[in-house]
Amino acid sequence: MVRELNLLTEFSQKSGIELDPKNIKIDDTTLRDGEQTAGVVFANDEKVYIAKMLDKVGVHQIEAGIPTMGGNEKEAIKKIASLDLNCSVLGWNRAVKSDIDASIDCGVDAVAISISSSDIHIEHKLMKSREWVLESIKTCVDYAKGFNLYVSVNAEDASRSDMEFLLQFARTARDAGADRLRYCDTLGILDPFETFIRVKNIIDIIGIDIEMHTHNDFGMAIANAIAGIKAGATYVNTTINGLGERAGNAAFEELVMALKYIEGVDMGFNTTFFRSLSEYVAKASNRILPTWKPIVGGKLFVYESESRASGVLINTKIYELFNEKDVGLERSLILGKYSGVNTIIYKMKDLGFKITRKEAEELAEIIRDKTVSLKRALFDNEIIDTYNSYRKKSSSSRTHEKGGKDGRSKK
Amino acid sequence: MEEVKSERHINIIDTTLRNGEQTAGVVFSKNEKIRIVKMLDEIGVPEVEVGTPSLGKIEREIITEIMKDKFKCKIFAYCEAEPENIKYAAQCGVKNVIINISTSDIHLKEKYKKNRTWAINKLKNTIRAAKHNDLNFIVSAEDATRADLEFLLKLISIARKKGAYRFRICDTVSRFDPFRTFLLINTITSAVNIPLEVYNHNDFGMATANGIAAIRGGASSLVVSIGGLGEGAGNAALEEIVMALKYLEDIELGIKTSKFREIAEYVSRASSRAIPVWKAIVGTNIFAHESGIHADGVIKNPKNYEVFKPSEVGLTRQLVVGKHSGSHTILHKFKEFDIELTDKQANDILGLARDMSVDLKRTLFDKELMYIYNDYKKKKKKQD
Repeated sequence: MVRELNLLTEFSQKSGIELDPKNIKIDDTTLRDGEQTAGVVFANDEKVYIAKMLDKVGVHQIEAGIPTMGGNEKEAIKKIASLDLNCSVLGWNRAVKSDIDASIDCGVDAVAISISSSDIHIEHKLMKSREWVLESIKTCVDYAKGFNLYVSVNAEDASRSDMEFLLQFARTARDAGADRLRYCDTLGILDPFETFIRVKNIIDIIGIDIEMHTHNDFGMAIANAIAGIKAGATYVNTTINGLGERAGNAAFEELVMALKYIEGVDMGFNTTFFRSLSEYVAKASNRILPTWKPIVGGKLFVYESESRASGVLINTKIYELFNEKDVGLERSLILGKYSGVNTIIYKMKDLGFKITRKEAEELAEIIRDKTVSLKRALFDNEIIDTYNSYRKKSSSSRTHEKGGKDGRSKK
Repeated sequence: MEEVKSERHINIIDTTLRNGEQTAGVVFSKNEKIRIVKMLDEIGVPEVEVGTPSLGKIEREIITEIMKDKFKCKIFAYCEAEPENIKYAAQCGVKNVIINISTSDIHLKEKYKKNRTWAINKLKNTIRAAKHNDLNFIVSAEDATRADLEFLLKLISIARKKGAYRFRICDTVSRFDPFRTFLLINTITSAVNIPLEVYNHNDFGMATANGIAAIRGGASSLVVSIGGLGEGAGNAALEEIVMALKYLEDIELGIKTSKFREIAEYVSRASSRAIPVWKAIVGTNIFAHESGIHADGVIKNPKNYEVFKPSEVGLTRQLVVGKHSGSHTILHKFKEFDIELTDKQANDILGLARDMSVDLKRTLFDKELMYIYNDYKKKKKKQD
């Protein structure tokens, strides 16, 4: 029986709970689910390079690809498995013996055996029955375990699965000797509350290691992964930049930083490496890295509005939980429509001009009008130019008022 | 499981034109601002935050112009707590204002070099000005997620007593996850009787989830922006919140979602920011299927891999052929070209298409598939 939890009570009790970094492991699937994204293809050299970087940055397991695809893909996985990395290397398989044979052929130490657990998938996609699914799990786990592999059983579309059957699915995997169950929110349709209760039920009742595989279709991949961890999941399946089918998966860099700065769990990753890792994957996957991408976007530490800019000039903690250097980014200040006095004084000083508050106030108005007509922030040389013509105008009017002769009077 | 999904009335307020524009480097022209209000109004967004009157003459001109139009939606101007700022708002003809005050000690002490009493007085004075100018107001607590809870509750009580009809909790630095959001909102709603609104940032990718957690915790309003445009990593995206409420929480806001892609595109151009193809809800890749498993599933029944129809958000479905395609996709794709392939032919072409895709490092155009097919047929003919 599925236990009835008082979801909201249990949920709120998990707020601020202490988590142990030793109990959380990252299994990165940039090379499998990331590459499976429509339009994305990595060259084999890129796959190998990404695997090396992931290992260097400290992930625990790499899902290297789908061996049964053969050809190029198989070669890349073989190569990665032969690199003698610190992390585990996993091959992705359907619940078919020949797929597992292909994985074994590649020399991986771990396999994921994937099969749908929802009736809609079982009936409409696999065109089989629940019994057939359970039987396939038994046969394949047993087979893979015979080769001494680490085995993850992936419950595809777990979120739309009947909970009773999902428990049966997990029990079958556990009894067959599987090392963990991957909970796949294949369509990204759970919120953190539903994720929490479903994962908690599986852990409490079946007692098997759980890996979270979340999708970002409704913008909840990271939150759901964290909800899973709070329910007791020990693995998270991530990708660099959240690369993955449709709206993508849980982004590696977001999860690691959220764990560190929101949940207080430092996994010990070398985060200063994040920006370059993200840039590499963005280029290899032929995708832009949005300047506002959480954690690694190029403009996250670029300030314009007076409210924020003047705050971080006093103390970055006023608006930041971590520093730009922590993720390999750079900080800068630009002037635009929302710039104010303090920011302008600072920026001008940076450009080599000492100006008064009054000047800054007048300059703010001019800069605002200019940015609205240009529809963008100003370049540094435009700021200098704007200031120079403002000086000329104000000193000539002052000269005029005073009737004096020195148009370049200094204060 | 407890049922939270009732007939509660949930409000959303869009801040694309205020916090969205406040993003470093983003500037909208007057025409664009007016157009965006029109679009939001047309799809049924009930409340829109249009700008910051204290910013300067040019901003006030734009807001005044917006106020001349007749919109169904309620228009808000944003004011940092300061009596003078209220005057500027009144000059523009707005009837509703948001009064924002920092509430965390780090903001009060470090940024303003002041204390909590100063904040309370500032708020009271600004509220007085708002009443004097006959404006309706809500109060917004900046950095509320780092504020002392008792002080926050005190401020909320003051705001309520002084006539604020709603209170906004800002997670200014993205400090919260859904668990903490839920707990805080739940705590406040049980302590003070005032409608709560929550404002989230996406620094750790949790803006939308935190919005949903706030609703579950008892909040009745969320601040959103189109495409999530906003300072830093942005805010909770309008399209994500609306669709998540509808499909994950069974809360229907009655918004015309079929215009989402169009509006996102407009704001993308006006803010000079591309919509990533993978952007949740409105990205062009959301309904593109390549991998054998997914494409095969979608061909058999879209429900296998889709929660809602592409047309619901103004997108279209596409099957693309690449490294991860399966033979079913090839069969289906050629059927679209009016060519019936045998299973053997489909498998052969699949092999060729995969190799080409790895070689080109991308998926194939329809034309390229036809080239492969023609070459393949020629070769077969020769062999025969």
